[in-house]
Formats: sequence, structure tokens, C-alpha cells
Amino acid sequence: MATPGPGEYFSIGSHVSCLTCLGQRLQGEVIAFDYQTKMLTLKCTPSSGKPNLSDVVLVNLAYVSDVDVITDCTGTPPPLASLNFNKLTNRARAEKEDKLSQAYAISAGVSPEGQQLFQTIHKTIKECKWQEKNIVVMDDVVITPPYRVDNCRGKEGSALGHVRKIVEKHLRDLESQKSVQRAQQTQKDSALSA
Amino acid sequence: MLSITSHQCITRWAVKTKSILLITTLLDLFSASQVAFSGVYANMRMVHILTSVVGTKCELNVKNGVIYEGVFKTYGPECDLVLDAAHRKSPEPSMGPRREDIVESIIFKSSDVVVVHFKDVDLNYAKKDNFTDSAVSARLNGEHKEKDLEPWDGGDQHASGSLESLDTDLSNGWDPDDMFKYNEETYGVKSTYDSSLSSYTVPLERDNSEEFLKREARAAQLAEEIEASAAYKARVALENDERSEEEKYTAVVRETHTLSREHKYIPPSQRNREPGLSWGTGRQNSPRLVQCNPGPPAPRAGPHDYNIPGVDQRIVNGGPPRMSPKSQRTPRTHRVASCRGGGASGADFMSQGASVEVSTPVPARSSPSGGTWSSVVSGGELSHRPRSPRQNSMGGTASGPSLSSPQAGSVTADSVNMSTTVTSPTTASPAPIVAAIPLVEAKESRIQETRQNSPSSNKENMKPMESSPSINRPVSKGVIAPDHRKQIDNLKKFSVDFRLQPSSNPDPVFETTVTKPPRDSGEKPKEQPKDKNTDLTGPKVCSESPSSDEPVTAVAAAPAGSKPNTPSPSPSASALSAQPEQKRGPDVTSQGVQTSLPAAKSDKDDKEEKKDPVPESIKKSTLNPNAKEFNPRAFCTPPKPATTPTLPRPQGQPSPSIVVQQPPAMYGQTMCFPQMYPLTPVSPGVQVIPHMTVSQSKPYRPVPNMPQQRPDQHHPPGTSTMMHPATAAGPPIVAPSPAYSTQYFTCSPQQFASQPLVQQMPHYQSQAQHVFSPVLQGSARMITPPTHGQPSLVSSSTTQYGEQTHTMYVSAPIPQQYPHPSATLHPHPQHPQPSATPTGQAQQGAQHGGSHAAPSPVQHPQHQVAAAAAAAAAQALHLGNPPQQQMYTALAPTPPSMTPGPNPQSPQASFPSAQQAVYIHAPQVQHGYNPNHMAHVQQAHMQSGMVPAHHGTPSHPPVMLMATQPTAGPQPPLPQGTLNPIPVSSTTHFSYMTHPQGKASMFSPDAVSCTELNTLKPYSRQTLFDNTITFTKNCSFALVLFVLFQYHLISSSCRGVLASYN
Repeated sequence: MATPGPGEYFSIGSHVSCLTCLGQRLQGEVIAFDYQTKMLTLKCTPSSGKPNLSDVVLVNLAYVSDVDVITDCTGTPPPLASLNFNKLTNRARAEKEDKLSQAYAISAGVSPEGQQLFQTIHKTIKECKWQEKNIVVMDDVVITPPYRVDNCRGKEGSALGHVRKIVEKHLRDLESQKSVQRAQQTQKDSALSA
Repeated sequence: MLSITSHQCITRWAVKTKSILLITTLLDLFSASQVAFSGVYANMRMVHILTSVVGTKCELNVKNGVIYEGVFKTYGPECDLVLDAAHRKSPEPSMGPRREDIVESIIFKSSDVVVVHFKDVDLNYAKKDNFTDSAVSARLNGEHKEKDLEPWDGGDQHASGSLESLDTDLSNGWDPDDMFKYNEETYGVKSTYDSSLSSYTVPLERDNSEEFLKREARAAQLAEEIEASAAYKARVALENDERSEEEKYTAVVRETHTLSREHKYIPPSQRNREPGLSWGTGRQNSPRLVQCNPGPPAPRAGPHDYNIPGVDQRIVNGGPPRMSPKSQRTPRTHRVASCRGGGASGADFMSQGASVEVSTPVPARSSPSGGTWSSVVSGGELSHRPRSPRQNSMGGTASGPSLSSPQAGSVTADSVNMSTTVTSPTTASPAPIVAAIPLVEAKESRIQETRQNSPSSNKENMKPMESSPSINRPVSKGVIAPDHRKQIDNLKKFSVDFRLQPSSNPDPVFETTVTKPPRDSGEKPKEQPKDKNTDLTGPKVCSESPSSDEPVTAVAAAPAGSKPNTPSPSPSASALSAQPEQKRGPDVTSQGVQTSLPAAKSDKDDKEEKKDPVPESIKKSTLNPNAKEFNPRAFCTPPKPATTPTLPRPQGQPSPSIVVQQPPAMYGQTMCFPQMYPLTPVSPGVQVIPHMTVSQSKPYRPVPNMPQQRPDQHHPPGTSTMMHPATAAGPPIVAPSPAYSTQYFTCSPQQFASQPLVQQMPHYQSQAQHVFSPVLQGSARMITPPTHGQPSLVSSSTTQYGEQTHTMYVSAPIPQQYPHPSATLHPHPQHPQPSATPTGQAQQGAQHGGSHAAPSPVQHPQHQVAAAAAAAAAQALHLGNPPQQQMYTALAPTPPSMTPGPNPQSPQASFPSAQQAVYIHAPQVQHGYNPNHMAHVQQAHMQSGMVPAHHGTPSHPPVMLMATQPTAGPQPPLPQGTLNPIPVSSTTHFSYMTHPQGKASMFSPDAVSCTELNTLKPYSRQTLFDNTITFTKNCSFALVLFVLFQYHLISSSCRGVLASYN
């Protein structure tokens, strides 16, 4: 690794802010930097606000301006833990499948609410599929648009009750999420405007 | 980390190249040697970060402002990025990508990438240290409290010795009454506990009625038997073992510890020293130790000592049946046990004992549990007895060679057989025990070897039997007799009870067996010769006279008869009843040998000498029988056995040969019948079936063997000891013959030798059949049966004979067969002659050829046995015969030349097949017989009846009586047979047949009926076994079930009849 010149090197753990050529302001902690490719990896505050998560931004310094090192870290970077590559691979496959499945639903003209519901149900019950715009769970319960609790139909039984509970909770969570997002958006908007 | 990075790099590269093979290859390369990474791959931290975000969704901004969204797949050394399922993000916020918008994967050059945004990534997702202490603790969901270890303060009370006080506290919790009282006082709960358990059981009402006393005695006997069994002792020992699991399995032996804790805990080692702890020690000690332990102080020596008494008892208890099962399980152990037993028996034992000891170690190892248990538990003779059964099964077979071995085979096959075998052991026990023990001892080594060598225990048993007769009798008789007798008595009682549930028959049998054993032991040699002589001389006479006497005398006089037999061959022999006969049967075999040989003693020597050959043959035969019992016999075993048996037997012991002869005779008969007459074939087939059952069905064999053996013995010996066997056999066959005789026979066979058993078995069957047939036919025919017996004997002397007969039959079967009824008589006589004299073989052959009678008799006997039970059975047999005949016919050709081989084989193999065929064809055959050869069939039956008469001349009278009625019965049976065959088809036929006949006979003569019933049962059992086997082979499970069911019905009916008689 060639020795970076002044202003070209970012020590791990330093907090940096920059403005991309696309006009996007980025700020975060440096977790990796490759001098040759001019790729900088930042760990930013999570967009979802969850504490155990974080956003990772890979920035090509070639298209960045206004790089500011807010705080420089001179300490030794933390050791790198070994990674379970299989786990990562499986995650990649699962994510891909989910996206494709979601895309299928979208192409079928399913509303975002329906897609979200499908994703939620899919987390709990793997045995669910799209049938036109209807979500079929365990070949037993059919959820028709607009995917409300009342739209769950099927044989009265534990399956139907269970699905209804999932839908009910999903909608509740959706509401709460929207409120949070709204609040965050308003904050962002205000921040941006400010 | 390095490796991971390298792997990832390789993976990424491979992804780009889309070469999986490359990935693996490169991975291997990288793993093998560190490669200088280029580009981003050289930046560990960058690699780590990028790798840890693999599989997450990301938004990738390209220079032109377009945003792509996809799943981050991998990256290249130049930081080229790969997104899977990527799509171009549309300006409309809420709409997701359409299917057609998604691209499988897109590779973005780093130079085109402005920003890649991974949202909400868990950077610890792929960390491997999920289970490190820090990782686990970091994920603890709740409060995690460290467990503080607290020192335990037992206080002063728990000072040294307190724990021991707990050990010494013998109180086992609360007294129930205390608990009830406490609950009542404290909680107001009143217990409804009733110590009388009236809700679960009914108190026994005692009275002095004869019936009650009888039952009580029997119950006591049974209890004694059960409690004497090794299995019982072993289980009880387990249950009552006060040693804790730790002591038994994990505790370290503390020899010195005992000093302070003598009262509380006795180390295993010390326990051994203590007398009462013998079994415990055994348990504690390894199997080997246990074996040694049996002998209290001196483990190995002790065991032997114990074994000696125990061995005898064992042999006696023989639990032959038990033995057999166990033996089957662990042949070697049994052998060992037998060896031990032999050692125990007497001076011979000593010598044997030495060998036994040598062998014992092995046995102990091989069958530590069985041997150890029995020995350990009983500690004394009793313990030995338990062992003996198991050992007997192995070695026991040798001891009660014929009986045990047969039984063993049978036992394994069927529980019923087991019971029968048990009874047989008891019955057989007397003579068998004595003889068997010595034999066992002497032959133990042989037996063991043979057993080891021979897959089937039967063969081994056979050998023992053969050898035992000659060797055992002389040696063991004196020494073992007392203990053995007791044990034998017990065993006999058991066997009787079990098998013969009919009280009257069993008792006689026991008595006979008891009495006989000693006599046999001492007298066996002499008696046998005498018997043989008598048989030979007066086969016809015996058959006739015996027939009348046999029924009654056999049962009641059996005991006396047994002894008498020795003195007066024919009369006594008949009187001997089944057990005596059985014993005699072996004796007879031996006698027959003797007879064949000039002097009994010389015979013995010869026998001993011959024993080796005989044992081998026997082994083979036994093996064959065992194997044959199921399917093999019919096919493979038969030929081998036949050859071996015939040759060995002749060479070795007369008895073996005799036995073989019978089978051959059977074959011959069967053969002849098939060839000669369709109908005759049927009868032969039936006979064959019996033989088959005998030889094939090991389990059955024991039982069947017993009866058959006697007849066989009579017949085989008949030549030599024809008179005795015939007389003895006759009576037993006639009277007790059914159940008792069978039982006895089974016992005797076992006791005698495996060879005798096998062969005898057939003989018995044949005899039994003969008896029955005689009953039906009449005295004249009865006479012929004796001759048959002789022939069988003769044949036994030379298996060839049987073969010859076969050939003969082949040559002139039909005409002769028909004549057989009448001719049968002649042939039979002739046969006796042949048996008596080797030359007779030719005659026999001629006879056989000339008149199927000889063969038919044999066959008939068997058939008759079944038939004897019921004319229907005979018919069934006949029915069976046709198939068998076919089989035989197929075999027959070979038999003539190969006679020995074919015979054995044919019997065994043919039997199974025959049985099958019989079953299948039974209806047809019967029908055919009925229509075409009604007379013939009847004749055949008659012949069979005659044969039985021959066998059991004494019994014949009753038989005759029965026969007269039976004759009617037979005819009816024929019709019935026709009817029955269809329903019963094969196996059941016998049972049905027997039952019907037995019932019919029952009606006419009580004794006869009883005997017949008994015999029928055994036969039916045998047949059932055989049938079952054959059926299974045929895959006719349903039929088997049906047969079994019928058998049950029959047995129950028979029992009822017996009970009524009783």
C-alpha cells in the first residue's frame, strides 16, 4: 500500500464528511480505505435508526469533493474478525430470491401494501405464494386486495386465525413505521432546509 | 482472515469468470500457498468490510446519476462491484422493480461507481465468534448472574461416618401405614388401599378335591421348573440384586475397604468369597469371573464342580427346550455348558470336565450371562440346572442330545416346540440325561466342534444323540442318574405339563421317563440290544400285540414299560411308552447298532468309534433337519443329509443309520408313492411331511421326534431291536403316542442324540402314522408297520436301503404300493429283516420296490401319525404326499443311487417342498386319492396305521381298536380329507387330520384317543411348523396364519378332549 499523501489518507476510525458529485453529502466513520482504487468505506448512522445496524457507504473519492476529516483517529484500528462466508453467501442468495419474488408480485400489479404484507408473512410462513394478486398462505388462506384483515379467507381454523394475526400486526407495524418515517422525514426535511 | 480474504477474492474472480471450477481450483491454490493479492484484495480492511456486506441490498450511484439497486454479490480486485438481481431504480419512490426490470447480475466498474450505499447493515452478521464467551455474553437477553459457588457446610453432624450412617440405614422410607395415617391426619385423605387386592385378584379357594390337589401339585411342579430355570434365576438375581448400579458397573473394587465397612458394603471381590453372594459375585465379576464364581471359592474349579451336579440336572432339566433355545442362541456356550455338564456327570465327567473346563472358559466368555447366571444364581445344582438348560441347549443338546438338539431346533422355530421340547427333555431326561450327559461329556468337544462347524444345532444334537446313546449310557448312567433323575423328573413333569397338558399322559411319561433314565442308563446298552433284537425278531408280533397293549400300557405302564423294555424288549418296550421309547429310541438306535454289531459292548465301542462318523453324519443330518425345516432342507440340505446320514449312520451308529433309514424310507416311500401311485404319492407325501416335520421342523421334531423316534427307534432298532422299539414304540405311539409319545419322543430324541432325533423323528412320525394307520387298518397291517419299523431300522442301518426303496419304488412302485396295504405288512416284516441283516437291505429295497408298503409304511406312519391323529390328517398327509412324492420322485432318482443323500435330502428338502406341495395339492391329492384310490388311500391309511402298529406294537391293540373305528374314521377322513384339505390345505391338514382322527379315535378307545390326541398334537405341531415353514416359503402367510389358527383350535379341542378323558 503506497503511502498516501497529505489529505489522501484516511486513518481507520476517523470521521469524515464529503460531498459527492451528485450533490449528496456523506458523513461517517472510516472503516476502510483503499488508496489505489480511491475507494473509501464509511460507516454511517443507520437509516432505519436501529442501534445495532449501520449504513455502509462505499465512496469513490474520484467523484467526491469537499472531503473533511472531522475527527482523526490515531489509535490502532480494531482487529478484524473472521467471517462466515457461507452465511454471507446464503444471505446473498436469499436476498436475491426475495427480490425476484417481490418483483414477480410487482409485475403482477400487486400494490406495495400487498407486497409488504407478503414479505411480512413470508418471514413467518415460508409456504406462501402469489396467485395473481392474491396471497395464498399454506394453500389454505387467501388474502385478497386490499390485504386487510377482513380480506383473509379460508377454512376457519388455526391457520386462518394465525394469518389474520400476522396481517393485523403487519398493518399495525406499518402504521407505526409510517409515523416514524414521517417524523424522520420531517426532521430531515427540516435539517435539509435548514 | 487471510484465508477468507483469499477465498473471497477467488470467489469474486470466479464469479466474474463464471467458473465454478476455477473457484475451487483457485481456492485450493490459495489455501495451499499465500498468494500476493493485488488491488483491493491486498487491503485486508477493505476486503473485510466489503465481504461483510455481501448479500445486502445496496443502492449504487453511477456517474451519470442513475441509481441501481441490487444485492451486493461480490467484488473484484480492482473494486469492481457485482450486484445480483439489480435493477435500475425508478424515480417513483414506492414502486418496486418489475420482473422484467431485474437483471440477473451487473458488474460495475469501480471507475463508474460514485457511491454505494448499503442500508441498515449488520456488520456483525457474519462474525464467526458467535459462541465465544464475549459473543455469548454480549447477546444475553436477560440478566446474567454469575453463579457463586458456596462452600457446603455439613456441620458437625456430617463428620466422618455420617454418610455411612445413611448407607446403613436400612429403613426404606415411610411405612405405608405411616403414610396413610399421616395423610389422613394431616389432609383428611383416607386410603382405600386393601391389602388383599380384592379389586385385582380373587383369593384362591383351597379344597381337598383331587382336582385341586392335582392342580396344586402341577402348579408346584411348574413353579419348581420355572424357578429352576436359568432365565428365572438370572432375572430374579437382577431384580434382587442389592448392589447398586455403581457397585455393579462403576465402582472400583475396594478390597481393603471392607475392613471398616464389612457390614455395609461388600466389595465384589469379597462377595465372591461369601457363599450367598455367588450370583452377585458372578454379576459383579465379568462373565468369565462369573463362570468361575459358580464354584464359590475356586471360580473355575468351582464352576465345574457346580456344573457337575448342575450339568446333570441341567441336562435333565434340560430343559431341553430351554436348552435348545439358549443353545441356539449361543451354540458355543451351550457346548461349553454341555461340556461342563458332562464333566459334572461322573468319572467320565472328570475327564470330560477337564475338557469342559478348557472349553468352559470359552463358554463363559461366549455365554457369560447364561452360564454365569444359572451357575451363579443356583450356586449349586439348581444354578447349574438353569445353566444346564442354556448350556444344554448348546451342550445340553449333547447331553440330552437327541431331545435337546431336536428341541433346540424346534424351540427356536416355535414356542410350542419349546414346550414340547421341554417336556421331551424331561421325559427324555432320564435316559437322555444319563446317556446324554456322558455323551455330552465325551462328545462335548465333538459336539462343540460339530456345533461350531455345523450351523444348525440339530446336527450337533444329532451327533450327541448318537454318540450319547453309546457313550453316555455306559459312562454317565451310574453317576449322573440320581441328580439327573430328579432333575429329569422335574423336567419331565414340566414337559409333560407343558406339552401334554393332559394330566394323565404327562404323569405316566414322567414316571416312565424317570424310571427309564436310570434303567436306560444302566440298561440302555443291554436293553437296546434286546429291544432291537426283540424288535427285529418280533416286529410283526410286537406291532400286533403292542398295538393292543400300547395304548393303555403305554400311558399307564409306560414307566414300568420303560424298565420292562430293557428286560423284555418287545413287551416292555411297548410298555416303555413314549418316554421309555424315546430313551429306548436312542437306545434302540444304539441297540440297533449293537445288534448290527454282535455285542452290545462291542457295539458301544463301535459306536464310540463310529460315533465320530455318526456324529458327523448326525450333525449333517441335524443340520439338514434344521436347515431343512425351513426351506433349505427341501432344496439343499436334503441331498447332503441324505448322503451323509445314510453313510455315516450305517458306518457310525446303527441308530443314526436307522434314523437315516427312516427318512430314506420316507423318501423311498414318498418316492415310490409318487412314482407308483398318485394316491400313494399323496400318502407318501403325507408321510414325507411327517418326516419332513420331524427332520425338517427341528422344533417340531423334538415333539414329533419323540413319538417318531420311538417308532423310528423301534423301527430302526427294530431291525436289531425291532421288537423292543416296535413294542415300546407301538404302545407309546398308540396310547401316549400322540401327545406323550411325541413329547417323549421329542425328549428321547433330544436326549439320545441329534442323529436319533432327526432320524428318529421321522421314524416317529412315520411310526405314529403307522400306528394310526394300524389302528385303522388292523393287526395285520399293524404287523406290517412293525416290519416297516424294521425296515426303517434296516434302512437306518443302511440309508441305502431307503434309497433302494426309493429306487425300488420307482421301479415297481404302483403295483407294489397297492399291494402295500397288504404288502406293506410284508414289506415291513421284510424290512425288519433287512434291518436286522444288511442283506436285508437288498430285500428291503426289493420290498420297498416291490411293495411301497415298506416305504409307504414309513410314509404312512408319518402320514398316519398325522392321520392317526385324524384320518383327515392322514388324508392331508396323503395330499401332502403327492407333492412330496413329486419332490421325492424328483429326488427319487437320485435316492436310488444316492439313496442316503437323497433320502435325507429328500426327506428334509422334499418334506418342505412336499409339505408345500401337499398343502397346495392336498385337496386335489386327497380328492384324487379318495376317488381313485379310496381303497388305496384307506389302505395307505391302514398301512400307516399298520406302521404305527408296528412301531407301537404294544399300543397297537388299542390302536387296532382305534384303527377299527379309525378305519371308519380314515375313510371318513378321506372324505374329510378331501374336505379338510381344501380348507386346511397343507399344514393344517395334519392338525385337522390328526384332530379329527384323534377325536374319532378318542371316541372309540379312550386310551387310544388320548394317545392319539397327544400324538396328534405333537404331530400337528410338527406339521404346523413344517407347514408354516413351507408356507412362509411359499409366501402364503395367510395360510400359515390359518394353519396356526387351526392348530390352536385343534390343540384346544384336543386339550378339551384330553381334559374330558382325564
